[in-house]
Amino acid sequence: MSDTQGRTPLEAALSRRDFLRTTGAAAAATAALAETPAAFAEAAPANLSVKGMGPQPIKLTLDVNDASVTTAVEPRVTLLDALRNYLDVTGCKRVCDRGTCGACTVMVDGKPIYSCTMLAVEAEGKKIKTAESLIDGGKLDAVPAAFVKYDAQQCGFCTPGFVVAMRAAFDKNPRATPAEIEEALSGNICRCGTYQQMRDAIAELCNKQKKGG
Amino acid sequence: MATSWPKKRRLIGTKIQRLDGPVKATGKAKYSYDINRPGMLHAVLLRCPHAHAKIKSLDAADAEKMPGVKAIYAIKKAGEELYWAGEEILGLAADTEEHALDAVRAVKIEYEVLPHIVKEEDALKEDRKTVSPVGGKRDNVLAAKDAADDAFDKGMTDAAVKVEGSYGVPVVCHQCLESHGLVAEWGEDGGLTVWASTQAVWGTAVELARYFAGKYKIDLPAEKVKCITHYMGGGFGSKFGPDIQGLVAAELARTAKAPVKLMLDRASEIVAGGNRPSAYGKVRIGATKDGKITAYEVDCYGTPGVGVTDTVTFNALPYVYPIAYKRKHTRIRTNAAMQRAMRAPNHPQNCTLTEFILDDLAAKLGMDPLQLRLKNLPQNDAEKAKIAPHSLDALKNTIYTREIEIAAALSKWKEKWHPPGKTDGVVKHGIGMALHTWGGQASPQSNECTVTIHADGSVVARTSTQDLGTGQRTVTALVTAEILGLEPGQITLEFGESTFGASTGSGGSTTIPSQSPATLRAATAARDDLFAKVAPKLDAKPEDLIVGVEGKILDKAKNKPWTWKEICARLDKEQAKGTGFWNYGESIKPDNRDVSSSGVGGVQIAEVLVDTETGVVRCTRIVAVQDCGMVVNPLTCESQVAGGVIMGLNYALFEERIMDRATGRMVNPDMEFYKLGGIEDMPQIVVHLHDMPERGVIGVGEPPVISTHAAIGNAIFNAIGARVGQTPFTPERVLAALAAKGGKR
Ligand code: FES
Ligand code: FES
Repeated sequence: MSDTQGRTPLEAALSRRDFLRTTGAAAAATAALAETPAAFAEAAPANLSVKGMGPQPIKLTLDVNDASVTTAVEPRVTLLDALRNYLDVTGCKRVCDRGTCGACTVMVDGKPIYSCTMLAVEAEGKKIKTAESLIDGGKLDAVPAAFVKYDAQQCGFCTPGFVVAMRAAFDKNPRATPAEIEEALSGNICRCGTYQQMRDAIAELCNKQKKGG
Repeated sequence: MATSWPKKRRLIGTKIQRLDGPVKATGKAKYSYDINRPGMLHAVLLRCPHAHAKIKSLDAADAEKMPGVKAIYAIKKAGEELYWAGEEILGLAADTEEHALDAVRAVKIEYEVLPHIVKEEDALKEDRKTVSPVGGKRDNVLAAKDAADDAFDKGMTDAAVKVEGSYGVPVVCHQCLESHGLVAEWGEDGGLTVWASTQAVWGTAVELARYFAGKYKIDLPAEKVKCITHYMGGGFGSKFGPDIQGLVAAELARTAKAPVKLMLDRASEIVAGGNRPSAYGKVRIGATKDGKITAYEVDCYGTPGVGVTDTVTFNALPYVYPIAYKRKHTRIRTNAAMQRAMRAPNHPQNCTLTEFILDDLAAKLGMDPLQLRLKNLPQNDAEKAKIAPHSLDALKNTIYTREIEIAAALSKWKEKWHPPGKTDGVVKHGIGMALHTWGGQASPQSNECTVTIHADGSVVARTSTQDLGTGQRTVTALVTAEILGLEPGQITLEFGESTFGASTGSGGSTTIPSQSPATLRAATAARDDLFAKVAPKLDAKPEDLIVGVEGKILDKAKNKPWTWKEICARLDKEQAKGTGFWNYGESIKPDNRDVSSSGVGGVQIAEVLVDTETGVVRCTRIVAVQDCGMVVNPLTCESQVAGGVIMGLNYALFEERIMDRATGRMVNPDMEFYKLGGIEDMPQIVVHLHDMPERGVIGVGEPPVISTHAAIGNAIFNAIGARVGQTPFTPERVLAALAAKGGKR
């Protein structure tokens, strides 16, 4: 009900952000561990010697949409919040803030990521792409162009998240079938109900890809 | 002067892509949530964790000393009572969101926890009087309303067949993806600007002006308050006016002398950002052997939270069908946030309490429910037809009959329908239908539009109204372009700012029937002004100039075509301008008939597969046939209908606010346990717009949501031959219905 999204806002001794802050003391280490979960048990003691970060803001350089940008955020700040609140990159939306809805989807090194579930400090050195990167001058990428053509958006608040997730799915497999694309979008939620039109857009994109190569 | 739509329409009725499509799809569109102002502070609200409590003490001294804190605004003080878990107590602004969140946790509050009731049935068992006083009374259960028509007793006594059942829908939440909130900034001139996520741009500015002028005795005329809503991420009826977070943000901004952003977090959005009231009822219906319904009786209740309003549309029970009635409705006040209007307020409830029992009756009569409906449709009203020949009342039978035929054909009803429960196998197929109705007329208050034509040929259409995702922005350009012989993309829009003229909130599906005629008038007036101004310079008479094909302006007398640019260039240093307004009063003037009108029907047919071992329901196909008078932009209109159907499917299968009896809190204020369907959960959706241009423009945002859950519920009944009477139709409820039915599956 308050920031924590917890059921007991006032009584919560430890909010999620506090949790991230404390465990984030070794955020870089955690990120590394995440890639090798099996090694967690052995690696953990060695990593305890890693120097902690924060709680004061940390200077950070991020690669966002092919530009190198610098800011300072506390280590507990998510990639989503760093982009939106500190770098004014607002194509990624904050809706659930806990990895359920997909509105905050960005590409990190080409993979679709819920940016609300990643700390900004973890994203250093990685290539971050948001929906804003899918228009170059006046030229729309094929995915948002299909959303426009088939009217696969109403309020549009969920749309950049869907567009990024779909772009990532086609990048991963240009010959993906509609069912595979739908699966890739299953972590995104739209309240206005644009799925039927989205399917029209998917059908066209899958067809084009088939013909194109 | 009479207003009318052009007889030949070039753009209206054709699919025009959303003009703001590219900026929205690429994240470039700036919603209120995305506004970052220089020096902006972030605010959060502290909410009550108890369903009913009194504040014993409130101490924000420590919070005030926390890093980055710039302003605190107490909404409640010691001694005050709070009536629902989530009620706002205090707002706090700090330099960063992180600091604001830390600081709000440092506020010390002691509560005296008081008894609460959060479930309707608990209040019916024992009224503990746990809610805020209304007229000095704290009753949870308000006195019932009842009414009966004279023919009821005889209708019920004479009925050869009688059926009864219990049906209901729970409280559901609006769950707008862009939460409620805004950025508030006071200017050096003492004016206030807000970037608000609202369905009422103009109304929000007016309310803020009134509130702050009154409270601080300052000179704050409405013109000095500007509300900007270029893009907004969903409202569905829950976002009118500044709301408490709007007032608090503006207060904090005033104290801190800095812009303040206050957007609700997800849990707050769900708990406090709006909910639809519940409705549960016992229904009894009587009919002749051949299926003519003779009497309908309902006794229902529901909760508007701490509110006091009805949770059904009392005078429209039964829904759609004219039947001798006896009705009773009880409002139950509970310790939960007050209900808000939600997409066709109270109509889904009425639909529930009417459409389910029709299929139960059809089963008892051994009748096809489609035939039962045809047999009991309202008749066309000949008297009303004399005054308004294109009104719904005049055409009800015609419209519904036609829509049922279309829906039946599109869904292959004849081949697919079978007697309830009469299929083999574990996974059973079912098909069901339901009807709905809605108004959708122009708003009673004025909606304004201004169209300006410049010498360089550019055209600006200006209106303060909002585009919730409905496509209104595109419609404004489309109508302007239609009249001027241009393309929608050639129209520059000045849109969604309160200083652009009056407009009403987008409620009741009133926006398009208010705005389209206002735009029609403004564009027509601008065109006439243009012709009057340039005609002398072209050596022509204004009345000889007409908008011809391909955007050429034709001098009829000389049969000479001019390009738009050539014509506009003659304006020289002048502009051509037209303004237009529209409201309900204008729409019913005999001269203006059929520019916009009121009243729609709508028929939906759903198909499901029900797994009788797991209870899982999968909806496979929905056909939605919807009329809305003259379809202005079929592309966005179809989106509205499909979107309504999907929201209705979510009601049917997933959505329910679950309250915890012990703590009085909502247990699923999130998006994993308050579930909304994803793309893989979706059926194929077939939308058929029953275009009736002769009726003029009618709003369509709300009606398509009304009957979907009922069609799905009836399809489940058709599949398994047992009634699952309450939404959402969860596996647990399906299995319970199967068990209650007993026998072989
Ligand atoms: S905001 Fe990140 S998944 Fe919902
Ligand atoms: S378009 Fe509004 S939530 Fe998807």
